[in-house]
Amino acid sequence: MSAFRLSVAPIVPQLEARQVAGSDCGGFASFEGWVRNHNDGRASNRLEYEAFAELAATEGEKVLEEARRKFGVDRVACVHRVGALEVGDVAVWVGVAAAHRAEAFAACRYIIDEVKHRLPIWKKEHYQEGDTAWVNCEADSDPVSASEVAKPASDYSRQTALAEVGVLGQARLRSARVLVVGAGGLGVPVLSYLAGAGVGTIGIVDGDVLEASNLHRQTIYSFADVGKPKAELAARHIGRLNPEVQLEVHPMRLTPESARSLIEAYEIIVDCTDNFTTTFLISDVALELDRIAVFASVYQFEGQVQVFRPGQPDSLCYRCIWPTQIPDGTVGTCDLVGTLGPVPGILGSIQALETLKIILDAPGQLGAELLLVDLMNYTQTRFLVPPEASGQHKTCRAHARAEVDVRFLDLETTMALESAGDQGFDVVDLRTESEATAKPLHGVAHRRMSVEELLLEAEQSQDRKILLVCSRGVRSRQAALRLRELGFPAVYSLAGGWRGGSTAA
Amino acid sequence: MPSPNKKILVSYFALFRERAGRSEETIQTHCETTADLYRELSERHALKLASDRVKVALNAEFTTWNARLRDGDHVVFIPPVAGG
Repeated sequence: MSAFRLSVAPIVPQLEARQVAGSDCGGFASFEGWVRNHNDGRASNRLEYEAFAELAATEGEKVLEEARRKFGVDRVACVHRVGALEVGDVAVWVGVAAAHRAEAFAACRYIIDEVKHRLPIWKKEHYQEGDTAWVNCEADSDPVSASEVAKPASDYSRQTALAEVGVLGQARLRSARVLVVGAGGLGVPVLSYLAGAGVGTIGIVDGDVLEASNLHRQTIYSFADVGKPKAELAARHIGRLNPEVQLEVHPMRLTPESARSLIEAYEIIVDCTDNFTTTFLISDVALELDRIAVFASVYQFEGQVQVFRPGQPDSLCYRCIWPTQIPDGTVGTCDLVGTLGPVPGILGSIQALETLKIILDAPGQLGAELLLVDLMNYTQTRFLVPPEASGQHKTCRAHARAEVDVRFLDLETTMALESAGDQGFDVVDLRTESEATAKPLHGVAHRRMSVEELLLEAEQSQDRKILLVCSRGVRSRQAALRLRELGFPAVYSLAGGWRGGSTAA
Repeated sequence: MPSPNKKILVSYFALFRERAGRSEETIQTHCETTADLYRELSERHALKLASDRVKVALNAEFTTWNARLRDGDHVVFIPPVAGG
């Protein structure tokens, strides 16, 4: 049964409440709209509701979905009467069950306001004098409550006051489309400030789930959400921060296969990733599709920022500085070498600022240069790149083509794991012992070892056919990439990883 | 004839700072080019990154590995950074 419905039968609130009840909920809020005996100073004795049923149903579901997202509640329901009603009947019922009362009240209020405002449902009142009148449900709500429930609109006055923004700038922000790749230490401030500024459409790409070790630097998330997909958690938070922003959630890793179609749909790509593979991918695709990219990265107390504006004479793609793909693991990531939360916080804020400047066409933007920020000593330096090193990107394109060819074309395979042995593959399980115990590989001979152990062993014979397996296909893909880079041509990664059960579709 | 002795200010970033154990140092050297200097310091501090993975800047502008050093130059070795 869908959570929103129209009903010709009387509404029994106690029965309705059952569909949202749950043992994970500590609070329940409901609203009942009743048929009263007067309207606008005239006595009425009954009324009729008529709905454009199809549209009311889809719009009702939309309202419920919005409430789920905005307030982080799952258990919502609404039923609206149609047909003839008597004074005292329940005309509409809304129920929300949630972990705590605050979001239950807020979501309940939101749903009834939106339902009354947006759904194509009309009310015909029968007055005691015998005449009738069609009343629009929303027009019917009295002025006091109408002003009270009026949704506050997003207010950008504190930024439109700037000469660099103004009404025109705000309109530019509203029509901008920005893709944020990575909702981690850099992505959190980027998403927050872009949404706060009223950037019209924001895409969020992240294939990871929240880990407790993220929280010291990724401060929009909650401890209770550990284990949940970050793209969706970020969208929920950003949606609450500014409901005007259109969010497009992509709970996946940016891969060579998905990058083109994703990046093509946006004007500016903000690289908030934590690995070189994705950064090079973003740069290469941005160059190919003529999209602006804003890069940042962090190492302990330091960070680097760079902006790529294709088409400009002095444009600087990532390869203009780092011509060939840098293997992941060459320098440390936050996971390995550590950082303090404010460091990606500040670097991400710089990225957000630079993105806003680009949209607003504001002065002082980074040109053909690398900005180095050292937060241990509070120094920052802009390293200029000589003009001949940037602009044409012929070498960059050549490097990109060469690397894409060897690296990505057939790296991932969807073969059935059971047949890997027959096809001559050594199957290597890269998972930890506890992961392997939880979901054992069966039906195929295999060995479990770490990437480092594998590297040592692989040196013995370069031509071995190896199939790498992990739980989601991320670690195995990175390891396969690394081995290919080191000159092992026959290493593959099982796409999507081993989820337990059979690999046969 | 050996190249004259020069005084060079060297700054280290990211993992170079860690490996060198300092943010900057002033050194006396006979090195002629940025590549010579990187080789010398790479050995001294075990910087452990091939020069094709490193950018070198001379007086706040990126330069090449055959750029010549002069007395009083400020040289910065910049490794790539990926964290986020």
